[in-house]
Amino acid sequence: MASIQKSGPAAVSGAVAAPQEGPARALGRAQMKVVLARYKILVLAVVIAAVWILFTALTDGDFLTPRNLSNLLRQMAITGMLAAGMVFVIIAGEIDLSVGSLLGLLGGVGAILDARWQMPFPVTLLAVLGLGAGIGAFNGYWVAYRGIPSFIVTLAGLLAFRGILLGITGGVTVTPIASDFVAVGQSYLPGPIGFGLAAILFALLAASVLRSRAGRRTYNLPVPPLAIDLGKIVLTGAVLAGFVVVLNAYRGIPTPVLILLVMLCGLSLMARRTVLGRRIYAIGGNLEATRLSGVDVQRVKLVVFALMGAAAALAGLLTTARLAAGSPSAGSLQELDAIASCVIGGTSMRGGAGTVAGALIGALLMASLDNGMSMLSLDSYWQMIVKGTILLLAVWLDVATYAKSN
Amino acid sequence: MPDTLLDMRGITKAFGGVRALDGIDLTVRRGEVVGLCGENGAGKSTLMKVLSAVYPHGTWDGTIHWEGQELKAGSIRETEAAGIVIIHQELMLVPQLSVAENIFLGREPRAAGGFIDFDAMYARAAKLLADLRMGHINVARPVADYGGGECQLIEIAKALSKNAKLLILDEPTSSLSRSETETLLGIVRDLKARGTACVYISHKLEEIEAVADRVTVIRDGTYVGSAAMADITAHDIIRMMIGREMTSLFPREDHPIGAVVFEARNVTCLDPHNTRRRRVDAVSFQLRRGEILGIAGLVGAGRTELVSALFGCYRGPSTAELFLDGQPITVRNPRQAVAHGICMVPEDRKAHGIVPGLGVGQNISLSVLGRYAGAGLIDEHRELQDVGAAITRMRIKTASPLLAIARLSGGNQQKAVIAKMLAPAPRVLILDEPTRGVDVGAKYEIYKLIFEFVKQGMSIIMVSSEMPEVLGISDRVLVMGEGRLRGDFVNDGLTQEQVLTAALTPLDAAA
Repeated sequence: MASIQKSGPAAVSGAVAAPQEGPARALGRAQMKVVLARYKILVLAVVIAAVWILFTALTDGDFLTPRNLSNLLRQMAITGMLAAGMVFVIIAGEIDLSVGSLLGLLGGVGAILDARWQMPFPVTLLAVLGLGAGIGAFNGYWVAYRGIPSFIVTLAGLLAFRGILLGITGGVTVTPIASDFVAVGQSYLPGPIGFGLAAILFALLAASVLRSRAGRRTYNLPVPPLAIDLGKIVLTGAVLAGFVVVLNAYRGIPTPVLILLVMLCGLSLMARRTVLGRRIYAIGGNLEATRLSGVDVQRVKLVVFALMGAAAALAGLLTTARLAAGSPSAGSLQELDAIASCVIGGTSMRGGAGTVAGALIGALLMASLDNGMSMLSLDSYWQMIVKGTILLLAVWLDVATYAKSN
Repeated sequence: MPDTLLDMRGITKAFGGVRALDGIDLTVRRGEVVGLCGENGAGKSTLMKVLSAVYPHGTWDGTIHWEGQELKAGSIRETEAAGIVIIHQELMLVPQLSVAENIFLGREPRAAGGFIDFDAMYARAAKLLADLRMGHINVARPVADYGGGECQLIEIAKALSKNAKLLILDEPTSSLSRSETETLLGIVRDLKARGTACVYISHKLEEIEAVADRVTVIRDGTYVGSAAMADITAHDIIRMMIGREMTSLFPREDHPIGAVVFEARNVTCLDPHNTRRRRVDAVSFQLRRGEILGIAGLVGAGRTELVSALFGCYRGPSTAELFLDGQPITVRNPRQAVAHGICMVPEDRKAHGIVPGLGVGQNISLSVLGRYAGAGLIDEHRELQDVGAAITRMRIKTASPLLAIARLSGGNQQKAVIAKMLAPAPRVLILDEPTRGVDVGAKYEIYKLIFEFVKQGMSIIMVSSEMPEVLGISDRVLVMGEGRLRGDFVNDGLTQEQVLTAALTPLDAAA
């Protein structure tokens, strides 16, 4: 550091001869950063397309078959469910490291209720969901009302929940799982119903876009050009149709994927249109300002963690259903995949910004990498290295674009 | 001009298509103090960022000559090495490090082996502070042990340790008490005598008058003029800043005052770090319908603590008996306060007022969001309708209610925060420093709004460090000092001297 003093005067005279093209190049880079910040999701879609094209080329087309895409989406569903809950935890400015262990514990409890206690599936479902929300609320209580950093609270959970799971299962796999339970993880939606649901969803989305245009006009807000909105609607329709056609070409929409889509719609609506959703963003943006506006910020945080717990419960039940067994190691390290999905999908670790859709697209990228590299029979260490690199790049993109926009 | 230290000519800086600065000139001679004046958003900070190379050479147009040579610096490091040191409004000290470590942060004297030479560092730091008449500061203690005024002087010592020839002080007294301000102004004069030049940026014109040799005024990014302080008055400066004659800074309007609506008895707040110390000590007062109650006092008198306790957001142990219409009420958190019809606009807008990422409208509706959610979903149409009405009523200048609030000017952000706390239709509205960091035009509009509110029967409690504001607006003035109530005046020709005397005089010798 002492060298600064020595180099100081020299640096000033050096500055006189500073190259002229520097600022111009810096400006170009700044503009690119602004574009990247605004269309992060679009950038992500391009990256996914590139990854898919690469894998398709390397596997002689095997990657892009309906069968493989169906598998890929099923693999993604569980990480996606955790990410859909995690995204709100991160938006609220917190973190949940316990969800992998919690997924394992709740999947294990579901398996025990089913295999040992012979509970009917609906009872198991409700009990596990309730337990998940309860444990999540327990995490939330320590964070919100006792002021312990969420990193620590959920790190404790990461250890303790796995320990409880090992204790109640005795460390062995729990079987057999009833067939209606297994069906949740392994069944498919009949083709025509898939089309029907897609058509209804499309109609709702189109109606909401048009309604929002009308609303904006009423309040003299800038209305985007009709062509852009129509383009959006057509593009959404094409994606939906393509999605159903491809999945129906195999066996139909997998049930876990359907559940994930329902979560996507429900939670996106919650994020954008409910009081709870708005408050979560407000808390992440400025906790104190939100508290001083008369909002019960502690309760909102508790609910966010409870929601995360319920999402982990769903993910746990689906894991058990997919394996047709309760495994004591289920969900290990999945919290990291979920966090990575959120961050890759544009959720800011500073809180206050992020979307469910983004998190799921992040999960899709992670699942695509897993799936493609497995098809290429690459060693799993490569998968870890590649995923780690992508995560680092995604956060770098977030940080770099944030610095510019401020 | 052999004695010219700095000569900035035709400085023009554009962001996108917007010209933040358009042909500004600024000249500083050796050992001269130049006051730089302009409303918020006039471009003072941008100009200083150009000078200190936060915006490197090439990203703006115009020329800077420093000691007769053209300066084309690419970074702050280069301008500091040349002797231009800026002290920002928000202090840049590390509270946990010692005073000496802060002064020499990044430039620590080294002993053999690369270890820090603490003896040399302490000696040099002590010498610097002694030169600033601050010899009582223990350079080995952490900065956290010292108050705002001392921290400001530690920053100046840090700047001097870099051999500053030109010191830029950006609103240096915004969090200083009166005596601390006096000390600071004295030190600026000392430095001047020793040949250090200074650019002094402040909204407080009496400070500019007290210390500046010359004044340069800018408005909306353009150069208005420059004059010797001896030739002009504060009134001239104001006229140059706003570009129009302001008939009255305080638009006092008659309004009826009714019966007592709110009463606080024995409000006591303990220091969270030292519970034997009382930040607020048994303060009681009454508030009438339609009354504007000003709370005056010096920094540290306990005013913000008092109103925080009324709003249920004091950070520490506190007790208070509160009555609304004679009925006792419990306020343990801001939510309960809002439910009782007591709202507060906090002092620190950035930290406690706005949610920067949300839109202007979403910020305004944050306090009453439940109102729009009948069947679970927010009725965005009704929300936009109300928000639109509030934006019109408060005269908030924004392109759209959906625009992120961080993109508005300070004055418009403040009006949005007021709109937010107005949405629950409070009976008592607490305004803590409502015009801090707000330009003259927006101040005037906020005063007009305050009178609009009281005419509708709302009662206002206003904490303000600006004495003219307290005297110009309030119907009654409470004066606090060292946590105690030291005066309760009806504002009928009340003078600054009366208030200040009360603030400095303990009521009983035992205190």
